[in-house]
Amino acid sequence: MRKTVKKQSPKRKPVKRSSIVNEDQPGFNGRAYFAVFCLALGATGLFARAVYLQVVDEAFLERQADARHIRSAKLSAHRGTITDRNGEVLAVSTPVDSIWVNPSVLVAAPEQILALAKLLDVSSASLNEKVSRSSARQFLWLKRHMNPSDAARIIDAGIVGVYSQREYRRYYPAGEVIGHLLGFTNIDDDGQEGLELAFDHKLAGKSGSKKVLKDRLGRTVEDVESVRAPVHGQNVVTSIDLRMQYFAYRALQSAVNEHRAKSGSAVVIDVNTGEVLAMVNQPSYNPNNRSSFSASNYRNRAITDIFEPGSALKPLIVAAALESGKYRENSYIETSPGQVKIGAKTIGDKRNFGRINLQTVLQKSSNVGAVKIAMSMDSEYLWATLQRFGLGQSTASGFPGESAGQLNHHANWRDITQATVAYGYGLSVTPLQLAQAYAVLGAKGLQYPVSLLKIERDPIARRIVKPDTADSILSMMESVVQTGGTGTQAAIAGYRIAGKTGTSRKAAKGGYAENRYAAVFAGLAPASKPRLAIVVVVDEPNAGEYYGGAVAAPVFSSIASGSLRILAVAPDNVQGTKREALRLAEAGR
Amino acid sequence: MSRAYSASSDTRMPDGTLLFVCIVLLCGGLVMLTSASISLAESSTGQPFYYLQRQMLAVLVGLMGGAVMLRIPSEFWESAGLSLVFIAALLLIIVLLPGLGRTVNGATRWLSIAGINMQVSEPARLLILMWLAGYAVRQQAELLATWQGFFKPMLVMAIIGLLLLQQPDFGATTVLLAVTLGVLFVAGGRLKYFIVCCLAVVAALAALAAYSPYRLKRVTGFLDPWADPFDSGFQLTQSLIAIGSGDVFGLGLGNSVQKLFYLPEAHTDFIFAVIAEEFGLVGSLLVILLFATLVWRIVVIARQSAVLNRMYQAYLAFGIAIWLGVQSLINIGVNMGVFPTKGLTLPLVSYGRSSLIITMIALGLLMRIDLENQRAINGGSKRKTRRSAR
Repeated sequence: MRKTVKKQSPKRKPVKRSSIVNEDQPGFNGRAYFAVFCLALGATGLFARAVYLQVVDEAFLERQADARHIRSAKLSAHRGTITDRNGEVLAVSTPVDSIWVNPSVLVAAPEQILALAKLLDVSSASLNEKVSRSSARQFLWLKRHMNPSDAARIIDAGIVGVYSQREYRRYYPAGEVIGHLLGFTNIDDDGQEGLELAFDHKLAGKSGSKKVLKDRLGRTVEDVESVRAPVHGQNVVTSIDLRMQYFAYRALQSAVNEHRAKSGSAVVIDVNTGEVLAMVNQPSYNPNNRSSFSASNYRNRAITDIFEPGSALKPLIVAAALESGKYRENSYIETSPGQVKIGAKTIGDKRNFGRINLQTVLQKSSNVGAVKIAMSMDSEYLWATLQRFGLGQSTASGFPGESAGQLNHHANWRDITQATVAYGYGLSVTPLQLAQAYAVLGAKGLQYPVSLLKIERDPIARRIVKPDTADSILSMMESVVQTGGTGTQAAIAGYRIAGKTGTSRKAAKGGYAENRYAAVFAGLAPASKPRLAIVVVVDEPNAGEYYGGAVAAPVFSSIASGSLRILAVAPDNVQGTKREALRLAEAGR
Repeated sequence: MSRAYSASSDTRMPDGTLLFVCIVLLCGGLVMLTSASISLAESSTGQPFYYLQRQMLAVLVGLMGGAVMLRIPSEFWESAGLSLVFIAALLLIIVLLPGLGRTVNGATRWLSIAGINMQVSEPARLLILMWLAGYAVRQQAELLATWQGFFKPMLVMAIIGLLLLQQPDFGATTVLLAVTLGVLFVAGGRLKYFIVCCLAVVAALAALAAYSPYRLKRVTGFLDPWADPFDSGFQLTQSLIAIGSGDVFGLGLGNSVQKLFYLPEAHTDFIFAVIAEEFGLVGSLLVILLFATLVWRIVVIARQSAVLNRMYQAYLAFGIAIWLGVQSLINIGVNMGVFPTKGLTLPLVSYGRSSLIITMIALGLLMRIDLENQRAINGGSKRKTRRSAR
């Protein structure tokens, strides 16, 4: 080593001039300072660059940072509850968790897919296929509406790219009993049918959002700010009394089954408020499990479907007659010889009833009597009266898909039209419309707007007919249920009932079908001081009997007796109870 | 020589500023390493302090290595001569043999010996430098006078560089090149050779960039990272976002968002970005200042050695100064987007145990040189030996 050093010294001098080596400090000289200067220059450059990035360009870079870090997260709002008039829950949103994945992350980890498939209890092949098909995407629902504890189990497994989202699922505790009226929501909890749709604006919550800081794996690090608080949906209190609803449902269901009918509806209205207390249909469906039912089962027939009321319309014709002043309660009609010819058409009764009063026209359901009454009135007047009863007009219940029924304008009436209207043909109504019209007769001629919601204030009533007229019709209709009437099976023990049967042939191609009927019973209970207007329609009974008095009246009877008991209405026919019971026993009911 | 071995009995302290800067970088580095790696460690290993624990182990090994260097007289390395080059070349060849080297991210840089992974380019760099300083002293006359004197070490450097590029390790090659040229420059190599050399290097770099497309992508990526922020510019844009988010005073220790899987290699090559994000401009200027101080103190030791006519020690110290200076300069520059991305750690701070241990060994060697210098100034006897030798 030393040798090298020694060797070099003599040679140093000749080179010295050609280089910039400083003789005094061999090796550490201007060049070294130059090198250090270069490093210092570099450090200064870094200084400048740091200032540029962190002061000058900072706004741009921070924007870029926010674009990557800040995400807006949804704050689910829950949907309002639907209850009956007594607070019984009919529809409620319960929290559920939905599992979603980021396919582009998951597809990179095949063993994770295997674990996930095991947790979800699906085959890993199908899951793998599902994920790979969306591998370019960032979002894929895997399983929605899971029990939160099940979802937590999957999230806790810590699989990368698997997340859960809080959602709400609608449950209908009463199931098919009130399914038609409530309707349902879709998987995103938006109202699709029925009251869920009608009052969606009230029920639906407004989901809020918040800004969150997320790491690159999509996990929330912290909440930055709440942008909008979620607004939860309001509750809706319906006019329905769930107890009556159950009662009506059971009665209708057993009748429809017994008579092998195509369908059926029943409506119960509070005469003094216009509130719908029960509304049922057959066939029904379970709104909690809609997978296996056809669309026709979803219809709330009591509001959306129309039928020709047949003889059930006659009380309104008689009411119009009394209102017109041409008739009085004790007016008589000549129905001999039991038939009447209008133009080319002959309208007949079952037999020749002879000269009968108005009450008997209703009790025996005389077509000839009704036709003669109707024909004696001005067509415009008759039309206007029927319209005031609500025929051909929507009840404005607000229910989606409500039908307004059909009542042709009087200008288009011919004689035969006016004649058929008298016994309920050539016009059509919904069960709800008919119930509303009957409610007028039970409310001393006042009409209350139909309401599907429980009403808080006394509704504004509209006078349709004079109180005397309504009372007269009411007492006439009582005779229908009494011995000798067409609707005796509508009677119930302890209460007086006023009602009217109806049996209408169904319209078919080219006229009326020979063997397809709608059996109707519409009535009021109790007759002394009506509380309820009830309409029962059984469509196309197929087990032999088809008269309204045989098919619909018994349904009316059980709905009315159950409802009056639920409402704790005092019996108004105590003396008649025993007699009636005996009579019923004799009739073999 | 025999007396030199007993020199460790000297109770004198090495340069205080140097020691202080080293400790600050090391301890601050451990804190920042923990901050930058805690989320990654948690998610990939389940242990939040996984990287800290491993780095601490490396600190212990580095301290032992540095202590050993303090006891070995620097002349020992001077006398070792070419054997140092052979050891370095051997390490670099072994790592390329199939089955012996460990490949991570497409680069075969690690040698697994008895369960310990070593990144061979790190010791190789120190070994080459130890030899080069000796060469510059021994062959100074030749270096100053002839082209052979300049190109012989450049040939060694080229061979070693080619071996490094086989891994490939572009960063290590760059630092080695810078150190070699720096030492030869200071030792008095002729300027025209440097110019030739620089042109050759530029040509080689251009050829290399064109030859391996991923390299070219990195080069173009750094020039305009925002043109393709989701692919070739991804890492750099994430780094710039981290630095920019820091603003003047930073988000605060532990509050970096970019380290949450946005910025790849946040705990290794891009730890500076995390420091800048958490401590802002204040933090990044402080880091640059600390490294500048480190290099300055080493240069002071080199100068002192030169004044004492301990030329081997002077070149060696100067080489280490260039090494640490260039490496930290490039690393920080890469983080800030002024250099293309390379696999280089920030000395003493980044996670990377081979780098940390070798850096600490090099610093141990420096302190040994410093102690020897002080003894030479005060003791006189040794200095006289050296002087008389001249």
